[in-house]
Amino acid sequence: MIETLFLLVFASGALLGAVAMFFLRHPMRVALALIGTMLSLAAIYAALGMHVIAVFQVLIYVGAVMVFMIYAVMLLDVRDRSFTERFSALGVAGLAGLLLLVGVLLDGLLRSEMPPAAVVEDAFAVGTFAVTFMEGYWVYFALTAVLLLVAEIAASAVIDIRRRGRDRDAADAAEAQKHG
Amino acid sequence: MDDMAFLLAVSGLLFTLGLVGVIVRRNLLVMLMFLELMLNGVILSLVVFSHQLGSEAGGVLVFLVFVVAAAEIAIAVPILLLLVRLKRTLDPGAYAGLKG
Amino acid sequence: MNGLLTTLVLLPLVGFFLNGLFGRRLGTGFVNVVGVGLPLAAFGVAVWAWTLLEAQGGAPIIETVFTWAVIGEHAFEVSFYLDRLSALMALVVTGVGAAIHIYSIGYMKDDASYARYFAYLNLFLFFMLLLVLGRSLLVLFVGWEGVGLASYLLIGFWFEDAAKARAGRKAFLTNRVGDAGFLLGMFLIFTAVGTLEMDLINQAFAGGLVPVGIATAAAILLFIGATGKSAQIPLHVWLPDAMAGPTPVSALIHAATMVTAGVYLIARLSGVYLEAPAASELIAVIGVLTAFLAATIALVQTDIKKVLAYSTISQLGFMFLALGVGAYGVAVFHLFTHAFFKAALFLGAGSVIHALGGEQDIRRMGGLRRRIPWTFVTFAVATAAIAGLPPLAGFFSKDAIIWYALVSGAGGAVWLWALASVTALLTAFYMFRLLWLVFLGRSRMEPEVEHHVHESPVSMTGVLVILAVFSVIAGWFAVPDYLEPLLPLPLVQPALEHLHLAQVLFAVLLAGLGLIGAAYLYREGGWRARQWQTRMQGMHQLLMRNYFVDELYDRALQRPWRWISDRVFLRLGDRILLDGSLHGLAALARQGAAWLGRVQTGSLHWYAWLTLLGLVGVLLWTWRHV
Repeated sequence: MIETLFLLVFASGALLGAVAMFFLRHPMRVALALIGTMLSLAAIYAALGMHVIAVFQVLIYVGAVMVFMIYAVMLLDVRDRSFTERFSALGVAGLAGLLLLVGVLLDGLLRSEMPPAAVVEDAFAVGTFAVTFMEGYWVYFALTAVLLLVAEIAASAVIDIRRRGRDRDAADAAEAQKHG
Repeated sequence: MDDMAFLLAVSGLLFTLGLVGVIVRRNLLVMLMFLELMLNGVILSLVVFSHQLGSEAGGVLVFLVFVVAAAEIAIAVPILLLLVRLKRTLDPGAYAGLKG
Repeated sequence: MNGLLTTLVLLPLVGFFLNGLFGRRLGTGFVNVVGVGLPLAAFGVAVWAWTLLEAQGGAPIIETVFTWAVIGEHAFEVSFYLDRLSALMALVVTGVGAAIHIYSIGYMKDDASYARYFAYLNLFLFFMLLLVLGRSLLVLFVGWEGVGLASYLLIGFWFEDAAKARAGRKAFLTNRVGDAGFLLGMFLIFTAVGTLEMDLINQAFAGGLVPVGIATAAAILLFIGATGKSAQIPLHVWLPDAMAGPTPVSALIHAATMVTAGVYLIARLSGVYLEAPAASELIAVIGVLTAFLAATIALVQTDIKKVLAYSTISQLGFMFLALGVGAYGVAVFHLFTHAFFKAALFLGAGSVIHALGGEQDIRRMGGLRRRIPWTFVTFAVATAAIAGLPPLAGFFSKDAIIWYALVSGAGGAVWLWALASVTALLTAFYMFRLLWLVFLGRSRMEPEVEHHVHESPVSMTGVLVILAVFSVIAGWFAVPDYLEPLLPLPLVQPALEHLHLAQVLFAVLLAGLGLIGAAYLYREGGWRARQWQTRMQGMHQLLMRNYFVDELYDRALQRPWRWISDRVFLRLGDRILLDGSLHGLAALARQGAAWLGRVQTGSLHWYAWLTLLGLVGVLLWTWRHV
């Protein structure tokens, strides 16, 4: 009973945050609303017994991702049309789409059945989860890490190459102007 | 309605709100944040199923999603910064280069 | 002996390949040996085959070469059939053919395409032998088409001249019209009796199994094919133009052999025609009309070869007249004699042309009697033969035709006899006119030409002599009686039997009248003839212009066809429909692409919304449809 109440409260919190994101103007405030949603979700995860995931939700998502976003908001403090006008040209269409998609999803949900609950004691307690994780799945983790590293290096390399190319073109143009 | 189904409904709603937010808002940064909202909605649904079935594989997958989301943001935001440096605006209308 | 007929047929084909492939490189000597030697060898084989035939009393020799196709329960074989009729034809084809090959050595001596000429001539011989020796209508048809092809190639032999090339094309196309009728007739016969082997067809028809309507239809359709090949009305227009080819070609193809293919066809399928009296009547009528009209045209022609061309058409008309009244053997008899004297006439004309260095207008000839004596004598003998003076060949065969035209129980009529007799008179007249204007009287030649007149070499005059001799003696072979077991002579109406002697005398009288008439009009420089011509200008024009048949065909057929080709097929069909539909499809694709391209607005919001729509669609499809 209390469990359900708990879930209800934090689910409403998450939804509230999501809806608030729609109507807030300043990007910073939008980011804060999103953080609120994420924290509520973390609470839900914890209530479901998935402590590790709750922890990492806060650590990574809120602590890294959203912080990064906030840096971006601070850096790009643009005050043009994108700031003054909240909604795009497709506002009404978006609303219609919202109703449509929600309708279809709810329809699908109502028609289906949940799989029977499996009872596993404390599967997601930190200790148990860590052991299982390192025993069975660390290969995938390592692989993912490597691939992401490669992606990051590639991205920065591309940027660097482009910058070098532009610098060279600029230098050539300056040379030509000097001689001509 | 039992808890899990309720949470799935919430998850669907979050996802929908995220997608509609991308359609409706006019600021690139805000659109990015709505993308993160979508991702969170999906993670919620993944967690629900993982809890229901008691499988650790679900947990591991969630973990990996976190990692990927972080990496994605690490790339998306700098891209955004570079673009904005070029066009000096966060309005998506300025980035209609794929028109036609 | 097995394979004899196949050897006979294949010898000229070998000649074609050797001459065609190597002739130019290996020179005139090689071409002579191969191109003339092989036809001579073919003649030898033909004689041998004939002796074998006679040794077994005329029973047909059948030689199957291979099975062409098996469709359902019908097997189509390529086989050769030698009986008296085809043996006679084969002997004529190879004999006269070989002689003309020898003549060509002298005539075509200085031509640049010597090897090509002999290659084509050999090819023609091959196809003609296929035609006369084939057992099945299919093999005959292959030969039929093949001789048409060879004719086209040889008429347009000097194709650098556009007019000559056009003449070749005209011949081929006119033949094609006839061939359409031939094919339809073939199909009809096959549907009716289930076989295309001609001896079996004759048996089936003779057995009375086929209804008269079908027999008549098939007979008429086959006759249409014959009119094309044998230049009868209305498909006779190609033969005068065909004189554009070298003269030996005119002699061989358009006098002695190819044009007689139609006669052979009908004689061979006599079983069909005996069951179709209406068709036979049609043949007789067209035959006699063609004979008469062609003779009238020949009266005024001024080109030596054109006179002979119209004469050929006329004589072919006689042969068809005989076929039409049921005297098949007599028609073949006339075919036999005609081959000799017409070939002699054409080759003689060739000799004259050769002597005069290319002159063909008889108004510019004359007085050649002493200058080219051998040519003159042979020409005169052949002229007498064709005119029907006894005891030369033409007398026997033509007289038999006219006799049966009168008295045949299977369609003889007085008007047929009358018209045929008038035609015989005209024949004698125009042939003697030709003889007079070319050889007798005073010379009207250009001085340049006259200076160079010389007799032809022995290769040419020798052949002329041989043919002239045969023109004399050919009538003494009793061909109709020889062919009697195969092609029975029609029953003579008893009431008229006694008129035979009277008819013979009358015919001789007509021939004599023709001779005298020609002599009278054209002696002393021909002033009387010129008087007649001025008096009858209109008639003269009509005859000169071939009764305006070519103009008629042009108006009635060519112009509408050209109009249809241009307006309907080119403008409507090709440009508007075909090109238009293709352009339309392309335009459609372009428009469709432009229209679809409007989805890509460049707006991120729009793309995201479309994604949402797509997602909804996928979910609906997965959750509700499955």
